[in-house]
Amino acid sequence: MQSFIIAKKELTLLIRDKLTATVLFVLPFAMILILGLLLGEGFGQKTDDLMRISVLNLDKGFGLNNKPWAQHAIEDMVSTPNIKVEIIQNKELAEQLVKTGKRAAVIIFNPDFSDRVNECSFLSTGVNPFHRDGIYLEKLQVSIVKDNKQPATSAIIESVCQIALLRIVMPWMIGKAFEKLGDPEFIELLGKEVSLPIPPSLRLLIPKDKIPLGELLELASGKDVVLAKNYREKVGAGIQTALTGQFKNYNLTGKSWASLTRSVNNSETVNTLTTFKNEDGTGILKRGAIRYQILVPSFTVMFTFSLILISGWIFVAEKRQGTFNRLLSTPVSTPNILLGKFLPTIIISLFQIFFLLGLGKVLLGLKIGLPSWTLSDWMIALIILPLATSFCVASFSLLIGLLSKNETQLALFSSVPVCLFALIGGCIFPWEMMPDNAKTLAFLTPQGWALEAFREIMPSSFDTTTDFQLIWKSTLVLTSMGFILISITWITLGRIRFGNS
Amino acid sequence: MTQTHSVILKIENITKLHGQFKALNTISLEINRAEIFGLLGPNGAGKSTLLSILAGASKPSSGFAWLDGMEIQPNNLKLRARIGLVPQDFAFYEDLTAKENLLFFGQLFGMQGQVLTNKVNEILEIIGLDDEKAHQYSKYFSGGMKRRLNLGIALVHSPDILMLDEPTVGVDPQSRNRIFEAIKIINAMGTTVIYTTHYMEEAESLCNRIAILNHGEIIACDTLQNLLSLTQTTINFSIHENDQTKSGILQNKLPELKSEPLQGSYSLTSHKNSTPDIINLLVNEKIQIINLHLDSPNLEKVFLSLTGRHLRD
Repeated sequence: MQSFIIAKKELTLLIRDKLTATVLFVLPFAMILILGLLLGEGFGQKTDDLMRISVLNLDKGFGLNNKPWAQHAIEDMVSTPNIKVEIIQNKELAEQLVKTGKRAAVIIFNPDFSDRVNECSFLSTGVNPFHRDGIYLEKLQVSIVKDNKQPATSAIIESVCQIALLRIVMPWMIGKAFEKLGDPEFIELLGKEVSLPIPPSLRLLIPKDKIPLGELLELASGKDVVLAKNYREKVGAGIQTALTGQFKNYNLTGKSWASLTRSVNNSETVNTLTTFKNEDGTGILKRGAIRYQILVPSFTVMFTFSLILISGWIFVAEKRQGTFNRLLSTPVSTPNILLGKFLPTIIISLFQIFFLLGLGKVLLGLKIGLPSWTLSDWMIALIILPLATSFCVASFSLLIGLLSKNETQLALFSSVPVCLFALIGGCIFPWEMMPDNAKTLAFLTPQGWALEAFREIMPSSFDTTTDFQLIWKSTLVLTSMGFILISITWITLGRIRFGNS
Repeated sequence: MTQTHSVILKIENITKLHGQFKALNTISLEINRAEIFGLLGPNGAGKSTLLSILAGASKPSSGFAWLDGMEIQPNNLKLRARIGLVPQDFAFYEDLTAKENLLFFGQLFGMQGQVLTNKVNEILEIIGLDDEKAHQYSKYFSGGMKRRLNLGIALVHSPDILMLDEPTVGVDPQSRNRIFEAIKIINAMGTTVIYTTHYMEEAESLCNRIAILNHGEIIACDTLQNLLSLTQTTINFSIHENDQTKSGILQNKLPELKSEPLQGSYSLTSHKNSTPDIINLLVNEKIQIINLHLDSPNLEKVFLSLTGRHLRD
C-alpha cells in the first residue's frame, strides 16, 4: 500500500533528524524532571478548604468509655467544621515535617495524657489544668512542636488544640463534680455548713436558735444510723435533681461536651481524619512525588500536541522543497497520500506518549491505574485513549501543515493549538491553580479533554476510583475533533490537487 | 504518417488565467511520439504553466489537452504514470540518498522488487551517479548532481512522455552534457520529450521541433531548420581606411548594403551563396578587407525578428 511507503519515508526522515527526535522525546521528559525537582509538594493541588491539624497520638492510657482521651480529643477536632485532622506516624516524622516547614505545628498527645486528664478535678486533690487563657498543656502532657517561621498558623493550631482540650476536660470535670454531690462526704460537709433557725414553738424541744442540717437529719432519723444515712443520700439526690431541673438545658453528668451541652448529632459531619502520606517523593529524582501525577500527564498532552508544529513544519518544508507537488503528481490517490502523512504522526505521537509514561513509571514512580482495574480498563486507558489523542493530534497537524504556505504562517497558525490551547487546557498551569471557571473553558480545547482523561488514569493518592465514563467521553470528543479536522484536510487537499490551482 | 510521427500529445486552445492575467492564451500544439519538442521562451512566457497543465498538475481555464486521446485532467491519476515531470526546482528528499529517492518514487508508481531495483540502477547509470554517489545523502550533492537526480526521479517509472522544465538552470557544463546525454538516451528508447528552456543553444542542439512562446502565446512552431529560415545570414566586413573612398562603388553594386562609414564597417543581410560574390567584388575593386565574418541565423535572431526583443530580456 502506497500510504505505508510514504509513512515509512516520513519516519526515516524523522529518525535521521536527530535534533527533532531529541526535541520530541527528551525535552518533555527533561521538563517534567526539572519542574518535578523544583516545584514544591503542594504543586498543582487545590488549596485546602479545611484547616489541617497534624496530630501525633502517643497516649497509652484510657479515659471515658475505655477510650484514650487523646482519641476523644482527635474526634472532637475531626467533628469540628472546617478542620481536618492528619495523623502523623511518629515523633521523628513530626519533628522533621516541622523542621522542613512542611507543617506549621504538630500536636503531640504524650503517653500520660489520659492519666493526666483522668486526674483533672475541681477538688483540691485533683489536677487543675486551667489558667486565664485556657489550659496548661504541659500539665496534661500535651506538647506542640512548632515551626518558628510560621507563627500565625501554629498559633491557630494551638488555639484549636486549646479549644478541643477545653471541650474534653471541662465536661469531664463537671460530670465528676456533679457525681460528688451525692457523696456522703459532701452531705456531711453540707450538714455542717448549713444551719436552720429553730422556730420559737419548738425551742422547748430543741433549746437552740439554730440547728445544723446534719444534726437535724440525725434528729429526724431518731438517731437511727441507717435511716440517717438514707436521709443524707436523699438530700444529695435531691440536690442533684434540683440542679438538673434548674439547668435542664445541660446534662451535668454527661462528661463529654456533646452530652453536657445536649448537642444534636450533626449527620452531615464528614470524616476528615487522614493519615500522613509522604507525597514529596524520595531520592534524587523525588521518585513517587505526587506532583508527577500532574506534571507527567500535563506535559505528555502538551508535547503530544506540539507535534502539530513539528509535523506541520515537515509538511511546509516538503512544500517548499517541491517534493509535495512531486508527490501530488504521482498516481497515488489523495486518501493514500493523506494516510501516508497521517500514520507517522500517529505513530510518533503514540511512541511519545508511551515513552513519557514509561519513563515516568520507571524513573519517577508515576502511579498509573488502580489495583481494581480490569484488563478492559487497562485497554481503554493505555490503548484507546492514547489512540484517540494521537488521532486528534495527527489531524490537527495535517490541517495546519496543509494550510500554511510557509514557516511564518505555520508558526502563527500552530501557536493557537500548541500554546494557547495548552494554556487554556490546563497543561501549563494545572486547573487547581486557576480560577474555578477555567476548567469549563478548558473543555473547549482538545488538550483539556485529553488532560482530563490522562489525569484520570494517573490518579492522585486520594483517588480510589476511576471515572471511566469521563475517559470514554474524552475519547469520543477527541475522536470527533479528529474526524472533523481530517475531513477538512481531505477536502482542502483534494481542492489543491484537483481544483483550479 | 508513420508510428514514430503519430501525435502523442494534442493541445487545443488552452488558456490559463491567473486572475485578470492571461498566463496562456489559446495555445494549440501537436507533439509527435518520440520527438524532442522544445518550448522556447523568455522568463514569464508561460512555459512552466503550460507544462504544469500538460503534467496534470493544474487545470486550464479553458481548452483541452489529450495524451494519446485521453484528456489530461488533474483527477485522471492513471495518466500520471505515463508522464514524467522534471520540475524547475529540486524536488527530492535531501535526507534520503539518491538511490532511496529513486526507490521511493518508483514505489509510488507501483514498481517493486527486482524490477524496481534494476530500473533504479539503470537510471543511476543514465544520469551518471556512481554507486558511491547513489548512497550519499542528496543534500551533499553539487548543483549538477542534484539536477541529474531531479531528472532521474522523473524517469524511474519509464514514462511515455518526459517533461523537463528548464532542467539545466545553474549547472556546470559537465552536468549539462550529462543531462543532454541522458535525454538523448531516453529519447532514443522511444520516450517523447518536452523540453522548456530559455537557452536557444539548448533548444537548437536538442530539439527536433521548437515552439516559441511569448507572453503566453505561440508565436512560431516548426522544425529548427524552418525556424532558422525565417531569418537570413548577415555578412559583416570592414575595409582598410585607404579604401574608404571606394565605398560609393560598393553602395552602387550592393544597394542593400548598410554602412557605418566612420569605422569603415559594412553589413549585408543576404543569402549565404552571395558571400563569394561579395568577396569577388572586393577583390576585383582591389579593396583591402580587414575582416569578414558571417552572422548565421539562430533562434535568438528568430525571436528578435518575431518579437522585436531579445530572448533573455
